[in-house]
Amino acid sequence: MENILFNPTEDTPKVVFNFDTGEYMISGRSLPENAVAFYIPLIEWLRKFNSSFKNEIIFNFKLEYFNTASAKQITKILLALQAISLNKEVLIKWYYYIEDMDIKASGERFSKLIKANIELISYDD
Amino acid sequence: MSSQTINDSFALRLFEGMQKNNLNYIYRGVFSQNITDGILSLTEANLEKVGEDSKIKKRVFTIMVEGLQNITRHQEIEEETDTNSETGIFLIQNIDKRYFITTGNPILKKNISNLTDQLNKINSLNPDELKQYYKNVLNDNIISDKGGAGLGLIEMARKSGNKLVYDFVDLSTNYSYFYLNTEISQEKGAKKPIISKSSGSLDDIKELHKTLNNEEIVLIFNGIFNQESLLNLLSIMENQMMEHNLNLKKKVFNIMVEMLQNIVKHGANGNGLSQNPGIFFINQKNNKYILNTGNYIDITESEKLKEKIDYVNSLSTDDLNEFYEKSLFNFQVDSSKESGLGMIELRLKTKRRLKFEISPFNDKFSFFALETVVD
Repeated sequence: MENILFNPTEDTPKVVFNFDTGEYMISGRSLPENAVAFYIPLIEWLRKFNSSFKNEIIFNFKLEYFNTASAKQITKILLALQAISLNKEVLIKWYYYIEDMDIKASGERFSKLIKANIELISYDD
Repeated sequence: MSSQTINDSFALRLFEGMQKNNLNYIYRGVFSQNITDGILSLTEANLEKVGEDSKIKKRVFTIMVEGLQNITRHQEIEEETDTNSETGIFLIQNIDKRYFITTGNPILKKNISNLTDQLNKINSLNPDELKQYYKNVLNDNIISDKGGAGLGLIEMARKSGNKLVYDFVDLSTNYSYFYLNTEISQEKGAKKPIISKSSGSLDDIKELHKTLNNEEIVLIFNGIFNQESLLNLLSIMENQMMEHNLNLKKKVFNIMVEMLQNIVKHGANGNGLSQNPGIFFINQKNNKYILNTGNYIDITESEKLKEKIDYVNSLSTDDLNEFYEKSLFNFQVDSSKESGLGMIELRLKTKRRLKFEISPFNDKFSFFALETVVD
């Protein structure tokens, strides 16, 4: 399996999809001009490796900010995780900075709409 | 409906005013190092984008650095007189391959005569004399307590190859406002038309500055709208809003991204249009930020856009949330240009109806002005 590692840029998040260590994380800012193009490889990766995942997957989102175009692509990632969760134990950890009402509200919205285990976790460092 | 219309479309008038004066970019406010850096990268990216000659780019850049440093060093306003109208200003104009950079800042009246002497001396010298004068000043080690501003002015005159145009406007008992305008022309040393028009352009700028002060506009951008200029504008605003709380900052950031990406993705830039497809400006009133965009759109898109915004405006908060969620999962609308969420987000985040106006421009394009308020 090819792991995915994207370094963060001014307008795209850091992405770690590490099949070997089981680390899955999208963190930082997401406001690319073309969000569809940025997220396609991530969504396809999740769809492709659906059956090869270990039995337990912890998937972390630690976003500071995302634009509406990214929101739609994040929805697709969550739907791919929802599909995986039919066969595997999936836990989605949605981190938000303790004072950040916006990221918290998005997490709440997604946990209402996505049929998978989403845990909201605040941090303050 | 009238409440959703922007009164006599200030955006359009300002846009036309900026176009008339060939203004690319104005920043008005406090100048910090980070903001200065943001302004420099923004201009650099724009010069790059229009394919400007590298010599000119370098000259524009040097003069900007000196001009911006003059503002940061001389923001000598004391606490008691601290009002919005007395912040610094920076503008760049591009007229027929000639760039005009104007800076403005308040100065103590007692420093005017010394500054005027310096400027007149610099303006009286030819290029060779200027070079010599620069050396002399450097050698004499005449450095003011603010750090050698005299050299900065000489450098601006040398690099531009033109006279420095300046003016003072009375502010208060102790302060005046100092405007400095430098022209960077294409051919160094080449014959140029007499620059008497520059003093005229300073009058226009003073007039525009008044409007900006009245409307409390902190930032105007009238350049090329792309992801790069968006990121630079965001970084300037982030620095400008440093002292505000996180949620207000994030809201402004969020709304700026949506509004600017709307122009990047949907702004028309067809034939028959000038190079600048739109305008973006921010007013800061009390603790409110008012964000405005104005841009051309294809006339065939006008009706659809109006319907969309009218619909979004007609919804209650609950209905809006429901519509947002429905759109989030509507993958029929899912392209690099369109997620179908932008306007809903603007309405949800600002908790207000969106004010907008679509005015006909010609048989191909309309001008679309949008205003949002964040507090």
